[in-house]
Amino acid sequence: MSIFEYNGSALVAMVGKNCFAIASDRRLGVQLQTVATDFRRIYRIHDKVYIGLSGLATDAQTLYQRLVFRHKLYQLREERDMKPETFASLVSSILYEKRFGPYFCQPVIAGLGDDDQPFICTMDCLGAKELAKDFVVSGSASESLYGACESMYKPDMEPEELFENISQALLASVDRDCLSGWGGHVFLVTPSEVQERTLKGRMD
Amino acid sequence: MECVFGLVGDGFALIAADSSAVNSILVHKSNEDKIMVLDSHKLLGASGEAGDRAQFTEYIQKNVHLYQFRNGIPLTTAAAANFTRGELATALRKFCFGQSPYFVNILLAGYDKEVGPSLYYIDYIATLHKLDKGAFGYGSYFSLSMMDRHYRNGMSLEQAIDLVDKCIIEIRSRLVVAPPNFVIKIVDQNGAREYAWRESIPSV
Amino acid sequence: MKLDASGLQTFAPHRADPDNLYPDLSAPPSFDLPGCPDFDGFQKKAIQMVKPAKGTTTLAFIFNEGVIVAADSRASMGGYISSQTVKKIIEINPYMIGTMAGGAADCQFWHRNLGIKCRLHELANKRRISVTGASKLLANILYSYRGMGLSVGTMIAGWDETGPALYYVDSEGGRLKGKRFSVGSGSPYAYGVLDSGYRSDLSIEEAAELARRAIYHATFRDGASGGVASVYHVGPNGWKKLSGDDVGELHYKYYPVVPAIVEHEMADAPPA
Repeated sequence: MSIFEYNGSALVAMVGKNCFAIASDRRLGVQLQTVATDFRRIYRIHDKVYIGLSGLATDAQTLYQRLVFRHKLYQLREERDMKPETFASLVSSILYEKRFGPYFCQPVIAGLGDDDQPFICTMDCLGAKELAKDFVVSGSASESLYGACESMYKPDMEPEELFENISQALLASVDRDCLSGWGGHVFLVTPSEVQERTLKGRMD
Repeated sequence: MECVFGLVGDGFALIAADSSAVNSILVHKSNEDKIMVLDSHKLLGASGEAGDRAQFTEYIQKNVHLYQFRNGIPLTTAAAANFTRGELATALRKFCFGQSPYFVNILLAGYDKEVGPSLYYIDYIATLHKLDKGAFGYGSYFSLSMMDRHYRNGMSLEQAIDLVDKCIIEIRSRLVVAPPNFVIKIVDQNGAREYAWRESIPSV
Repeated sequence: MKLDASGLQTFAPHRADPDNLYPDLSAPPSFDLPGCPDFDGFQKKAIQMVKPAKGTTTLAFIFNEGVIVAADSRASMGGYISSQTVKKIIEINPYMIGTMAGGAADCQFWHRNLGIKCRLHELANKRRISVTGASKLLANILYSYRGMGLSVGTMIAGWDETGPALYYVDSEGGRLKGKRFSVGSGSPYAYGVLDSGYRSDLSIEEAAELARRAIYHATFRDGASGGVASVYHVGPNGWKKLSGDDVGELHYKYYPVVPAIVEHEMADAPPA
């Protein structure tokens, strides 16, 4: 089994009309053993930028701590929050720093830019950015997620429809993956508010 | 083989661990205490390579003490857990220069005035997670489902000890390489202490 | 001293005759062997290619009212779930059922084969085969294929002239008689629940619930088990399927979601 699938994960971000949603599963496992079902993979950087870290949980935690540290330094120096594009570049460069001993994570970054234009992107564990206009996925359930999102995504969804869409895509996908699932987390971000919702899912 | 498990009850947390020191087919000792009393209100149950376990847990203990001496206040359980994770995570990427990662799995139980009892799961690759019930080693396969079945929120000490005994009996009867003796320690508002031993053979 | 190879001689023709449409049904099935010089190497690679679904939880136990047999229904290939509706409890005849763990094809084929043998035994001897006999038939066949890559971990449960009976049979050649077994990747989890709840004087309902609970807890902790928890009971009048519960729903039946406290609910302002 690949080290990226050691803990199991499913991550997806989707773009709507002036909004985005980012969702993950809730499982923390060690190979096939489920250790916890209230694990978080999506972290808030500031109100309009979120990062999901799939792959090895320990590296996700380490990476998150380093990103928060770097973002706080930026805030102190610049007296403003990072733009999503800037943050993606920061993640990319932090990942490439460890070119010969990488963090075994595949990040998904989602944010709202200055003019409330949604931004989503993913990258591999070395930091190669991959921007998308519709959706990005990662984790052990990424293949199923591609299928689900490919068939369910519509452009310019309103927030509530986007929430329904991303939730259904996530829940359908993790039902085809042994290593992810056990419920879900969804962050729905619009220019005016952020909603965090917990999804009830199959617990097997 | 090694078994460490723990749970959180009403106003206390407890950890149970086997007490066998094994090398290949030889049992060196069957009363080795693998649960360290970290400070007045913290327990650290560890399993893993014998040398790493002894070295690492002692290192953590001394540093937690050092913090208390320097600052006059003890670390909270969450802080100690994060400190332990940080040390493990740093060591994890030190393959070169003659250093090697620590191979220790840790359950950290503690009691804080503000948050009450808590239990943290930290595995050897430094994944940190807060749990109600957790287990490491081969015993986890039996004790986890046993705890899932019989655990309830806010268990009394008698009920929790009863559950621990159930787990020990199950491990002894179903695990091929079951250790004979176990030690149980608890931590509550009155501090961390040894609660009982469960010995099926005299200590050697 | 001569090596006793009689166990291997049961399959006289190792090369099947495709022209013979009426093969002797009672003869053990025979298979073409790969015609390559490195048989062992080929075998190893072939097993990797058709890597059998391994993740499973099955269990069975004898109690005063008969035998309870239960299983999950997930088939997985690595991390991918290939099906959530696999029938892992195979009905051999009205008085005997087998469970499936390991290779799906191996289990299905050899259980069907066992069914044929049991029926032929019944016709020849005018009485049903005992569970002891049936499990031994299967064990002997599996043993004769030992080392050739079969992957079977099964329990044969049934009711015969001696009452309820339960055997564990695997492709390594093992055959165990017992009161309580669990097989598959989720079996340690199932044992944890089963052992603590088992009594021989359980009622049928209690026993079925214990089995269901054990399967549920195994599916919760084991990533490779899931789907539907089916429970069968075998009594003096044969087997009966008692239930088939979707584990996804079972979880919320056992642990209902406590509605979160809404800190501030939006409501229309009352009309002035």
